[in-house]
Formats: sequence, structure tokens, C-alpha cells
Amino acid sequence: MAQQANIGELLSMLDSPLLSVRDDVTAVFKENLSSDRGPMLVNTLVDYYLETNSQPVLHILTTLQEPHDKHLLDKMNECMGRAASRLPALSLLGHVIRLQPPWKHKLSQAPLLPSLLKCLKMDTDVIVLTTGVLVLITMLPMIPQSGKQHLHDFFDIFGRLSSWCLKKPGHVTEIYLVHLHASVYALFHRLYGMYPCNFVSFLRSHYSMKENLDTFEEVVRPMMEHVRIHPELVTGSKDHELDPRRWKRLETHDVVIECAKISLDPAEASYEDGDSVSPQVSARFPHRAADVAASPYVDTQNSCGSATSTPYSSSRLMLLNMPGQPPQTLSPPATRLLTEPPQAALWSPSTVCGMTTPPTSPGNVPPELSHPYSKVFGTTGGKGTPLGTPATSPPPAPLCHSDDYVPISLRPATATPPKKEEKTDSARPCLHRQHHLPNDRGLEELPGSKGSVTLSDLPGFLGDLASEEDSIEKAKEEAAISKELSEITTAETEPLVPRGGFDSPFYQDNLPGCPRKNHSATSGAQGASVNPEPLNSSLDKLGPDTPKQAFTPIDPPCGGTAESPAGHRERQTSLETSILTPSPCKIPPQRGVGFGSGQPPPYDHLFEVALPKTAHHFVSKKTKELLKKAKGNAEEDYPPSTSPAEVLDRLVQQGADAHSKELSKLSLPSKSVDWTHFGDEIRALRNQLLLLHNQLLYERFKRQQHALRNRRLLRKAVKAAALEEHNAAMKDQLKLQEKDIQIWKVSVQKEQARCSWLREQRDAMVAQLHSQIRQLQHDREEFYNQSQELQTKLEDCRNMIAELRLELKKANSKVCHTELLLSQVSQKLSNSESVQQQMEFLNRQLLVLGEVNELYLEQLQSKHSDTTKEVEMMKAACRKELEKNRSHVLQQNQRLDTSQKRILELESHLAKKDHLLLEQKKYLEDVKVQARGQLQAAESRYEAQKRITQVFELEILDLYGRLEKDGLLKKLEEEKAEAAEAAEERLACCKDGCPDSVTGHNEESSGYNGETKPPRPGGGSASRGGGGGSGGGELSTPEKPPSQRAGLFSSRWETAMGGSATSIPTTVGSLPSSKSFLGMKARELFRNKSESQCDEDGVTISSLSETLKTELGRDPGAEAKTPLNPDGPHPSPPNLDSVGQLHIMDYNETHHEHSEG
Amino acid sequence: MTEDSQRNFRSVYYEKVGFRGVEEKKSLEILLKDDRLDIEKLCTFSQRFPLPSMYRALVWKVLLGILPPHHESHAQVMMYRKEQYCDVLHALEVVRFVSDATPQVEVYLRMYQLESGKLPRSPSFPLEPEDEVFLAIAKAVEEMVEDSVDCYWIIRSFVNQLNNKYRESLPQLPKAFEQYLNLEDSRLLSHLKTCSALSRLPYDLWFKRCFAGCLPESSLQRVWDKVVSGSCKILVFVAVEILLTFKIKVMALNSAEKITKFLENIPQDSSDAIVSKAIDLWHKHCGTPVHSA
Repeated sequence: MAQQANIGELLSMLDSPLLSVRDDVTAVFKENLSSDRGPMLVNTLVDYYLETNSQPVLHILTTLQEPHDKHLLDKMNECMGRAASRLPALSLLGHVIRLQPPWKHKLSQAPLLPSLLKCLKMDTDVIVLTTGVLVLITMLPMIPQSGKQHLHDFFDIFGRLSSWCLKKPGHVTEIYLVHLHASVYALFHRLYGMYPCNFVSFLRSHYSMKENLDTFEEVVRPMMEHVRIHPELVTGSKDHELDPRRWKRLETHDVVIECAKISLDPAEASYEDGDSVSPQVSARFPHRAADVAASPYVDTQNSCGSATSTPYSSSRLMLLNMPGQPPQTLSPPATRLLTEPPQAALWSPSTVCGMTTPPTSPGNVPPELSHPYSKVFGTTGGKGTPLGTPATSPPPAPLCHSDDYVPISLRPATATPPKKEEKTDSARPCLHRQHHLPNDRGLEELPGSKGSVTLSDLPGFLGDLASEEDSIEKAKEEAAISKELSEITTAETEPLVPRGGFDSPFYQDNLPGCPRKNHSATSGAQGASVNPEPLNSSLDKLGPDTPKQAFTPIDPPCGGTAESPAGHRERQTSLETSILTPSPCKIPPQRGVGFGSGQPPPYDHLFEVALPKTAHHFVSKKTKELLKKAKGNAEEDYPPSTSPAEVLDRLVQQGADAHSKELSKLSLPSKSVDWTHFGDEIRALRNQLLLLHNQLLYERFKRQQHALRNRRLLRKAVKAAALEEHNAAMKDQLKLQEKDIQIWKVSVQKEQARCSWLREQRDAMVAQLHSQIRQLQHDREEFYNQSQELQTKLEDCRNMIAELRLELKKANSKVCHTELLLSQVSQKLSNSESVQQQMEFLNRQLLVLGEVNELYLEQLQSKHSDTTKEVEMMKAACRKELEKNRSHVLQQNQRLDTSQKRILELESHLAKKDHLLLEQKKYLEDVKVQARGQLQAAESRYEAQKRITQVFELEILDLYGRLEKDGLLKKLEEEKAEAAEAAEERLACCKDGCPDSVTGHNEESSGYNGETKPPRPGGGSASRGGGGGSGGGELSTPEKPPSQRAGLFSSRWETAMGGSATSIPTTVGSLPSSKSFLGMKARELFRNKSESQCDEDGVTISSLSETLKTELGRDPGAEAKTPLNPDGPHPSPPNLDSVGQLHIMDYNETHHEHSEG
Repeated sequence: MTEDSQRNFRSVYYEKVGFRGVEEKKSLEILLKDDRLDIEKLCTFSQRFPLPSMYRALVWKVLLGILPPHHESHAQVMMYRKEQYCDVLHALEVVRFVSDATPQVEVYLRMYQLESGKLPRSPSFPLEPEDEVFLAIAKAVEEMVEDSVDCYWIIRSFVNQLNNKYRESLPQLPKAFEQYLNLEDSRLLSHLKTCSALSRLPYDLWFKRCFAGCLPESSLQRVWDKVVSGSCKILVFVAVEILLTFKIKVMALNSAEKITKFLENIPQDSSDAIVSKAIDLWHKHCGTPVHSA
């Protein structure tokens, strides 16, 4: 609560007259708002505002930041609900949205919008309706995409209000209806501009109904006369125009301009489109052409830098230069302005706009552009243009400074007014003030005035815009810049057109320029001598008046003093003009009303008046009214074409007229008295004022939108200019480079010439050197040949030497040979000498022997005759003998032949026999093999048989063994029973046991043989042949038994011994002990007989035992040895005894002895 | 040459074209027609070509020396053989070593034991390892030969041949096996070595029993043709081929026990192919025996 109270105090302090206090309090509020997020403070502020209509509070509310927007909207929505607070709430809403807060997009979602629409549909108060409609119209471009939801609400509202205009519910005064009509007209434009298809279809459906037909005829149809066919009607569709994508590209001001484009109403229309703009374009174009012709480097406002042919452009140039110059250089232009007042007055809004455009932010201009620009300036400066500015300053600099310099440049301009506006002294300070305004934007020098408020907001707004545009617009712009450049001429005109319009944010600054613009337009048109037709075409009805307008450029400032009687003079002259220029004509009244609506500060009124433009419009309106009155019927021609706005204008004019009349009539004191009497009237007037204020605010909003657009377009133009400058600079560089290239070409040619000369020289040198080389080579070859020759000679010499050497060798050898021959010859000589001597000696011997021979011959001849008969006889005998021998030889030969034949025969026989023998052998072999095969088979059979017998024998022995074992066991038992009996019995017992055990083979082998013979003959006969019969003899002679037999029996032995081994030793062992005394007697009895027998037996037994031993060595039953061995090798006495015993016991002993014997 | 031209002048080309065995039967018949059979030629033939089954028993008997080379004495010798068989059988019956219930294979074993003098004292004595070999071979031969006399004699002679003729060469076979396996597939050999299965392969089954019980008889007799005709090396190649054929499975097995177990029970379906390949391999490594050596 304390806080509440505190807030209340603060609120009251807000309205304090002290500026500083107010600022402080505002700051406190803003701080609170930034720290506090709750709705309370906002609510309080709104309440307070609704209560007091306080401007500072309004200011605070309109600049609310993001988190509070919701509270504000809620609060306003709440206020809308109450009929009492509806109007102020609406106006607050209007204020808020006109400033386009950053959260404006939230409006479409806020509950405020439906309630506003509802209010517009339901409410019956014209003032509320008018205000609401205006707010709605303002709001529509901001939330175009929300149209989808509320489109039919909009249309319904239009339908309702349009019918209102006609039906005029009783209590509504006509005057209000005019306002309403105007706002409905604006709504019509907006709806038609934004949603043509939907709107037309709505119109079609709505006004096809009979009850609405009147409304259509009376209200809607005239409105339709002021619009062109919307292009969307042809290309678009209902859905398309509601498509959010369509609206996304467009800013709020774009939407506004879009709507303005389709308007035919001169008050609303925008001349951007080619057809409608063409007159002005053509009007402007000559300037451009002239400028371009003057200097190729010129672009947009920089074109001013060139030497201009027209005074107009030169003036522009001067003004342009001023911002570019440092402050100290201001004076010369100022003086120039002074000296050339008309030109100073000619400073066109375009220049001002250009200087104050947002592109001032350095970021917008690429830094690299600066140098080309400076170059451009340099060149232009070099051209000797009137501008003596230091051209080195980069273009961003002038643009940057422009904001600061504009007022400065204006200050000298304010020095001119004495000339321009001698009559209006009061206007001067005003002007002065206003020129200061942009300079001191941060301060609120005009707290009461709306204009000042908007202006003071401007920097912030501009800042927003700059930042926004930096981000959004820049991107858009860069994309569009090429397009814009291509349309550079039109683009250039574009900024001019809005400038020619009235709603730039620098309205006050521009005001003086506005007429200038017109003038420049006309003057330019004159220069081009094209203007009448285009102007006529654009303002067809008013065509004839244009010349007049053209000649009244200076008038507005003069007529700015509306209250002065001098104004009337001007009014007369500018009667038509004011009508002709409807665009300004609307604003001043609104402004006026707007200022009047609040608590107009005392100077505000003057301020309004002081504005030449405003004044001019006041004048024009009044004249219009007069004209209307004067012409009377003449005006009747217009109604079909007069728009509701015009009607409203007229009304305002009338009102203002009446007001001024009243004012002039009434002295101040009486006025106060009269006020009381005319309370109702005052209220009506108040309401009217309010309405007008609303209208004014709406128009101002529109103007701001236009201004935004202007700035954007201007920046594009500036960029285009910059690029052109850049282009120019590049061209320049290109030229320089071309020059360089030329120079280089020349030098290249020189170098080429030198090069060719050098090459020639070199070629000459080379040729010379070549010839030298050739000569030298030739020489070399000659030398080579010489050396070859010499070498061949050398070779020849060598050969010769070799030959000579060979010859030498040959000679030497010859010499040697001859020497050898010589020695040989000498030897031979000596030999022959010795031979001669021998020969001589032999000759002598021969002679001797010849003599001897002769001697012997004589002897022989004397003896020969006695021996011949004997010889003949001998010969005959020899012959006979020879024949004999010959015949014998013949005989022998014959014999030989026969014997040889015989031999041959025998040999053949022998061969045959050999062959036969071989065959026989082969056959024999064959047979042998065959037999061997058979024999092998038989042998294997035999082997098998042998094995079989072995097995059988084994088996039999086994069986016997078993049998005997059984028998022995029995006997043993008996023996044990008779153990105590006498020795005879024992002997008998031995006689029974021993033959079985030890000497069984001696006695009972015959029995055995007899038994075993049947199986044996096969095997035995096969091996032994006919030895089978003498089995008994064989067995009875123990010396004979063959090892084979022993082998045969061995197994039997083994088994037998093995079987009896256990029992026999006991019996055998017991024998000697029992023999001890019995044996003694027996030996004595049988000694003589058994002596020899014993020996023999010992031998047989030993031999037997030996054979057995070899067999038994392998056998497991080796125990059998132990009883035998003592008998064998060592024929010990007990053994002898036992043998003796055996023989004694043996009854067949005699038979044995016989057989032995 | 003259013999060949007598037979069929196309015979040379059959082999070139790839037909095998077309003329073999005929040539074998010619060989068998000779009085006093040429054992060498029969050996070569048997090593070179598979024997026609109808002559197999005859050829084996001749090669094993059961029948002499002369046709004349065949009947007599065969009679002897039969008598011998009957005698031995009778003797065994007498000593009650065999009865009617005794399986034929064991009868053969006892007969063999009797003839070689190794008959144990009692039929209930445990069998020696060599007796097991005999039984395995006997079982295989029993499948191949119908007549029991022939069967016994073939078994007997075959075993005798193994024990006498191949006594020296059989222990060398594992080494030869390793060598040829290395030539054919060294990776497999190294795998076996890493598993230390090389020394534990069923060499007894392969070389002592000559695959009796390992391969089905139809395939086995083709192997034994070669063995009977005097080449025990074929056994090595059969073993190598078995390993090559089942290489993938053997490679998959990692322990010596598993490998041995698998090799002792190899699947029977591919045995014919194994034997054919083994014979090819044998011919490849040891060369085709010359026809008329």
C-alpha cells in the first residue's frame, strides 16, 4: 500500500511543470518497470492515464517493454469492457500501436483484438466507433496474417458501419457521421488493399441482399470509384491472400503502401506505380538526364557534386556539400546561401531526407567503398566544380554527420527566412526551434506538443529502425539491390515521391521544402517541357491548374501566416493550388485538431500556424470552402467523385473557419461567458476535435509508414549510387591500366626489337663460330689422316723389320745347317777314305781266293766221272717212292672227306639232341614245378596232419594224465592206509608205482605201442617208411630210439611226469630210505647178474635222461628232472640199487637180456 | 606286341580315350589260358588293372600259391587243400576246440593256429593281438569268397604273406605315409603334428589289418588285389587318400583322440572313390607297373 501511495505521489509528480522532476520521475518509473514484472504498476499507470490523460504517463505506457505488454493489453481489454473507459482505452491503444512496439505481433493473439472487434460490432457511440475503426485500420497492416481468423469480423464491421453511414441512427449528429464515413472509407481502402478477393466476395454476398442495396448505392459504390482494380483480383485467390507467406515479406509500411497503391483518391493514392507515377518520373527524369549528361560520375545525391547546369541542382549541390564539410567550412556555403537566397530556399526535401536517412549507420556502407568514393570526389574536385570541399572525406562520413549537420545547415537557412518570410516574424523562432529539434532529440523540449513527442521519439524509433533494418532490411536489400540498381531511375524517383508527400518523420523540417519540391518538379518539368501532359494525366481533372501551382512555389511560406490578412491575398492566388494538392491539405487540419485535442500549450497554436505547409493548407481549405460557396452548383458536379475524406476535409475547413470567425468575433472575456452557454455545443465540438485528433493520428501513422519506406528506398538509392561511383572508379582504373598496357606494349615492342637485334648478332656469331669449328674439324681430320698414314707406315716398317728378322733367322739357320753339313761331309770323307782302304784290302783277298778256286776246279774235274750210276738208281727209287706216297695221300683225302661228312651229320644230331635235351629239361622243370606244387600241397597236408597228430597226442596225453592222476590218488590213499605194513608190501607197492612212473617205457611201452599204433601208422609210416613193424624192437632197444621219437614222446613224458610229479617224489624219496637195509640184501643176492645189466641200464638211462633233459629244459614240469638227474649223470649206489631193484622186480628181465644178446 | 594285335587293335585307343577295363577281362582271360600260368604277368596285371570279380578268387589263389601254375594239377592240389581243411577241421572238432556253434571266422582262426602250432591249451585263453588281426582279415575275406575251403586258404595264405613277405616293409609304412602326406598336403600334416595325432593314427588298422574292417569289402578287394600281387605300398596311399578326402573334418578336429576315433570309423559311402583316387595316387607316385615285366 505504501508503495501504492508512493506510486500515486510519483504519478502526481509526473505532471509537474518542472522538466527535471518529470524526467526523474519518468526514469524512476522506467526503472520500476524494468525491475518489476508484475501487472500492478502498469495497471496503475493505465488507470491514471485514463483518469488524467497525462502525457508523460502515455509516454511511459507507449514505451513499455516486452514483459509488460501482456499486462497492458489485459488492462486495456478490461477497460474496453467498461463503456465509460472504452474511449480512452481505445485512444490509448491507438497511441500504443501507432508507435509499433516490438511486441505488436502479439496483438493478433491478445484478447484485446476480439473485444475491440466486438466493441466495433456492438457499440453505438460514433466517437468510439470512429476511434476504434481507425485503431483497427492502423492495426491491420501490423497483423496481416491474423486476418484469417477475424476477416469476417472485419467485413461485418465494415458492413455495419457503412450501413450506419446511411441509416444514421437518430441521435447521431451529421458531423460525427462525416468522421465515421471518412474512417469507413479508410477501412474500405485497407480491406480492399489487403484482402481484395475476400473483400470483393464479401461485398458481393453482402450487398446482393436487398436490404443492403441502398447502402451499397449510397455509401459503398462511391468508395469503389476511388479504387483501381486490385491486381490480386486477377492473379490471387482467397486462400492466397490469407497465406502467411505472402505477408511475411511485407513490413507494416509495405502493407500501407500496398493499400495506397490501389487508391485512386489523390489523398490516399501512392504514385509509385509506373502508370500513375510516370508524369513525375518524366518530370524528374530530365534532371537526371541533365545531371548524367553533366558528369558521368554522378549518382543520386552525389550528382550534386558535379557541375550542374540548373540552378536547382547547383543549390542542391551546395546543400549537399555542407554536410560533407567540416563545421568551419560551413560559413562559405552559408554566405553563399545568403547571397543566393532562392537557391537556399530551393533545398529540396530529397537532400534532407538523404542526409537523415538511416543508412547513416556506418555498417550499411561497405568500408571498401570509401576509397572509390574518395577518388570520385577527388576527380570531381579536380574538375573544378564549385564545391571546394575537401573531397578526401569518405562518403560514410558525410552521411554519418548528416544528422548533425542538417540543423547546422539549417541554421544558415534560418538566416534566410527574413527574406523569405518577412511577414511572419512569429514563424521564425518556430522555424528556428524546429530546426533545433533534430539536434536535441534526446531532450523533450516540447513536452506538450505531440509533434515534439513524436520527434523526440524519433531517435529511438530511428534507432530501432536502424537496428531492425540492419538485420532484416539489409538482407532484403542486398538481395534486391541488383534489381534496384537496374531500376535506378525509377528507384531514384521513388524517394522523391514520398518526399513530395508530406508524411516524412521530418515533417517539420521538410515543410519548407515541400513547396520547393513542387516547384522543382514543375521547374524540372518546364526544363523538360513535358510536364503539362503528365501532370494532366495524373491529375486529370485538375490538369489546367497545374501551371498555377507551378508558379506558386514561394507562396506557402508567405501564406503561412494564416491569421494575417496577408494570407487572404495569397489564398486568392493559391485557391486552386490548395485544391490541386490534396495531399497536404489533409494533414494540417488534423494536426491542428490533434494539438487542440490535448492540452495545447500556448505556443502550440502558433507553432501550427507557423508551419508554412500547414498554413498553406489552412488557406487552401478555406479557399476551397469559399470556392465551394462561390461556385455553388459547380460543386455539385463533384459529389460522385468526392471521397468521404474530402467531405471530412471540407467539414474541418468549415469548422476551422467557423472557429476562427467565432474567435475573431468574440473578445476573450465574452468568449468565456459564451462558452458556458454553449456547453452542449462545446461538448459536441470536443468530440469532434477528438475525432479529428484520431483521424490526424491515423494519418500521421500512415505518414510514418511512408517515411520508413522512404528511408529504405533512399538507402537503396545511396547504395546504387555508391556502386555506380565504384563502377566509375573501376572504369578509371581500367583506363589507367589500359594506358599502362599501352606503355607496356610499346616497351615490349622495343624489347622485341632489341631482342631480335641481339638474336641476329648472336646468329652471326654462331655462324662464324660454326665456320671456325668446321675449319678446325677439317684440320683435325687432315691431321688424323696424316697420323693414319704415319701409322700405316709405321706398321709397314714394323713388318719389314719382322721380315728382316725372319730372314736373319733363316740365314743363321742356313749357316748352322751348312756348318753341320760341312762337318758331316768331312766325316763322310774320312769314312770313304777308310772304305777305300778296305776295298783295296778286299780286292787283294779276292785275287787270292780266285787263285784258290782255280786250283780246286782243277781238282774236281779230275774226280767227277765215278758217281753218276749210283745217283740214277737213287733217283728212280725216289720216284717210285714218291708215287707211292701220292696214292697214299689220295686215299687219305677221301677218308678225310667221308669223315668230315660224318662229323657234320653227327653235329646236327648233336644239336637235335641238345634241343631235345633242352626241351626235356624244360619239361622236366615243368614237371618238377608241377610236382613241387603238388608236393608242396602234399607237404602242407602232411604238416597239417603232423600238427593234427600233435594236437591229438596232446589231447590224449592230457586225458591220460588226468586218468593216472586219478589212479595215483587212489593208490596213495591205499598206501597211506597200509603204511604200517611190511617191506615186501612196500616193494610191491614200489613195483606197482615204479613201472608206471620211471621205467614205464621199458616194460610197458610195448603195451603202449600197441595201443598207440592205430593212430600212429599214418604219421610214422610217412616219415620212416617201413619202420613201423619193428615197434617192439625199437622200443626194447633203448640205445636206438631216435631223437624224433624222443621228441614225440617228450610231450607225453612231460604230461606224465607233470601229472605224477607231485606223487612220485614221495614214493621215490621213500624208496632209498626203505631200501637201506632191504637193498643191501638184494644187492648181495643179484650182484653178479645185475652188475653188467646195471651198467648198461645206467647208460641207457643216462642217454635217455640226456635226451629228455633237452626236451624237458623247456617244459614247465621241470621237477621231473630232479628225480631223473640223480640217476643219469651220477650213477649213485642208491640208484644202482633201485635199478637193481627194478631188474629184480622185472620178470621180463631175462627176455631183455635175450634180446640184447 | 603280337599278343596285343591278336586281342584287339583298338585296345590301344581305349585307354587313350579314357575307357578302362574294356579289354582287361579279355586280356586276363588270355593270361589265364596259358598252361603254366605266368605269375609275373598276373602280378603286373593285377597291379595295373582292377581284377574282374569272377576271376578274382582264381587269381588270388594262384598269386598266393594256393594253386600251382599248372592247370593239370589244380584239381589234385585243390583236393589236397580240401582234405587238409577237412582234416584240420575234424581234428579241431575232435579236440572240441570248435563246435557247430563256433563262428566260422573263429574256426578259421583255430585252424590257422593249429596249423602253425600255436593252438592254445584251451579255447578260453585270451586272444593275442595277431589273432585279432587274423579275425579281421578273415571276416573281410569271408565276405569276398563264398567257398569256405577257398576262404580259409586265402586267409591263411594272405596272413602268411603279411607275416613273411611284408614282415620288413610293414613297419616302414607309417614313415612312407608321412612322407607322401607331406607331398600331397603339408598343411594337413602339420595340423596332425600340432595335434600330436600323427603317431596315434590307426596304423594297426591300416597297415596290419590292411584296412579290413575299415573299408567295405567291395572297395577293400580292389586294394587287396594290389596287396596280394605284391605291393603293400598301396596301403599308404589309401591312408593318405582317406586323410585327404576327410581333410576338412580332420582339420576341424583338434584332439588326437577325436581324429583317431573319426579315422577308425570313417563313413563308408565314399570308399569307392577313395580307393580309385588312392590307386591313381599310387600310380602317380610309384609309376604304372610295366605290362609285361
